[in-house]
Amino acid sequence: MGKLSGKKLILLGERDGVPSPAMEACFAASGAEVAFSATECFV
Amino acid sequence: MATVGIRGASYCLNHTPELAFHYGNTPSTERHSKPDSEFLANLPKFVQSYDEAVRYAPNLVYIGALGVESLPNKTAPMYKNLEEKGSRSGVYGEIMPEDEFIALMDICDVFDLVWLEESFSVAVKPKMEAHPLLGESQIKRLEAGHALADIEKEVAEHNALPLYFNNVVVACVRKGHDIDENLSAHVLMENLASKVGGVLALMHLIKNSGVEAKDIEYVIECSEEAIGDMNQRGGGNMAKAIAEIADCVNASGCDVRGFCAGPVSAILNAAGLVCSGIHKNVAVVAGGAIPKLYMNAREHVKKAMPALENCMGNFGVLLMPDDGSMPIIRLDAVGKHSVGVGAAPQAITSALVLEPLEKIGLGLKDVDKYAAELHTPEITVPAGAGNVPEANFKMIAALGVMKGQVERADMNQFVKERGMEGYAPTQGHIPSGVPFIGHAIDAINRGEMHRAMIIGKGSLFLGRLTNLADGASFIIEKAGAKASAGASISKNEVKEIILDVLSEITESLDAEAKKD
Repeated sequence: MGKLSGKKLILLGERDGVPSPAMEACFAASGAEVAFSATECFV
Repeated sequence: MATVGIRGASYCLNHTPELAFHYGNTPSTERHSKPDSEFLANLPKFVQSYDEAVRYAPNLVYIGALGVESLPNKTAPMYKNLEEKGSRSGVYGEIMPEDEFIALMDICDVFDLVWLEESFSVAVKPKMEAHPLLGESQIKRLEAGHALADIEKEVAEHNALPLYFNNVVVACVRKGHDIDENLSAHVLMENLASKVGGVLALMHLIKNSGVEAKDIEYVIECSEEAIGDMNQRGGGNMAKAIAEIADCVNASGCDVRGFCAGPVSAILNAAGLVCSGIHKNVAVVAGGAIPKLYMNAREHVKKAMPALENCMGNFGVLLMPDDGSMPIIRLDAVGKHSVGVGAAPQAITSALVLEPLEKIGLGLKDVDKYAAELHTPEITVPAGAGNVPEANFKMIAALGVMKGQVERADMNQFVKERGMEGYAPTQGHIPSGVPFIGHAIDAINRGEMHRAMIIGKGSLFLGRLTNLADGASFIIEKAGAKASAGASISKNEVKEIILDVLSEITESLDAEAKKD
């Protein structure tokens, strides 16, 4: 079990950086629950 | 290989700090939520004047008064180290001041939505008459104006929005319907302002391309505005509205949308029309966006620097059949961000940059310059959004390392040589790759560059209908580049050539056999 197991995640992505779906994919096997995930565009 | 020629390009800025202060989304929403805020009170102290704007190096690069290559040598910050000599005009366009912009809004208004105050109309008319691109058909559209009291009444009683110059009300934009919010004064003001940018870009494009207005057959408009009423919000055809004011009597048009990726998609659509023979001369244009003015001003004010997002941007590109005399867009190596590509940055960069190059047997180092998200870093870095173009170029370099095309130690050199400093206002679709087309075709024509890639990216998720982003790309080359670049012949083309040769040999042998 990873240290994120059982935790809730809030993921804020950026289009020209790391978008949130990419972060979701990274955390998919961490055992954490994605409570909120969104990508924003700051330009 | 399918190709189209790029006949010309145009780029203008409309310096509109008072529109930014009153109607840019950041100050506007602050005014509703915290009208007494420190930010709003301080913002007027950080205005960049018109005289400063025409001496600001990124603005001058945008309109073609300076070269892109000049930017790395400038002393930062460029907003403090202004050019000694300002210039309203560049080889691609101009930086228009706000009073002329408001007058041009009236010229572009065909529904009596814009009312000018009469003394303002009198004062601005000679300036409009002196504008080298505005002719009788445009000038006669400038209204004589209304009494200030009438404008104030429209604002007070009929939801019109006041327009300011030198902190004084000089005009208003009226609503187009009593209850339809799609025709509210605010929506119509944004649409009209974008139309103005499109008209200015189209008129400069016609001049820069050495054609006449009547030669334009089709216009594709690619801003991010929705034109319509309550029954068809986003019904569109800003393009034809723009063509009408610019005297393009033989043109029809349509709009292409795709958030910030709209311009690259629009150019590819235009290229398809030209290449297929449907239309010969197709102009792609877009005006700017009022809401994005002063978007990051809160951070700029906090850092006691000028609120630099004071210009609406616009651009135009004219495509024609490839006659061998113009730089071309290659249509056999177009990048697209398909649904299945996903959201991982390296997957997106691969789809937009690597895959189209591989399709024609080229590598990342075969492109002299990449142009993506050319936002001016002096605007975005203080606001915490980072150096956006550099981030994109680093991603391309990193992909090059992964694919063994770039040495890890050479990544920074790759970014320096094949990327560029950003110089476009943060106007969404405007910085998205397309600002480099003008500089690229000129560098190609001067023999200083062989190949450039234009990359557009759009944040579709902002519309809340999908979590996806989008993107598209295309390659610009000098005319006849394929013939001189052996490396650019694809496997399929080699097969076709071999088949042609074998076929000729077979025919020749058959003929010999018949003789015998």
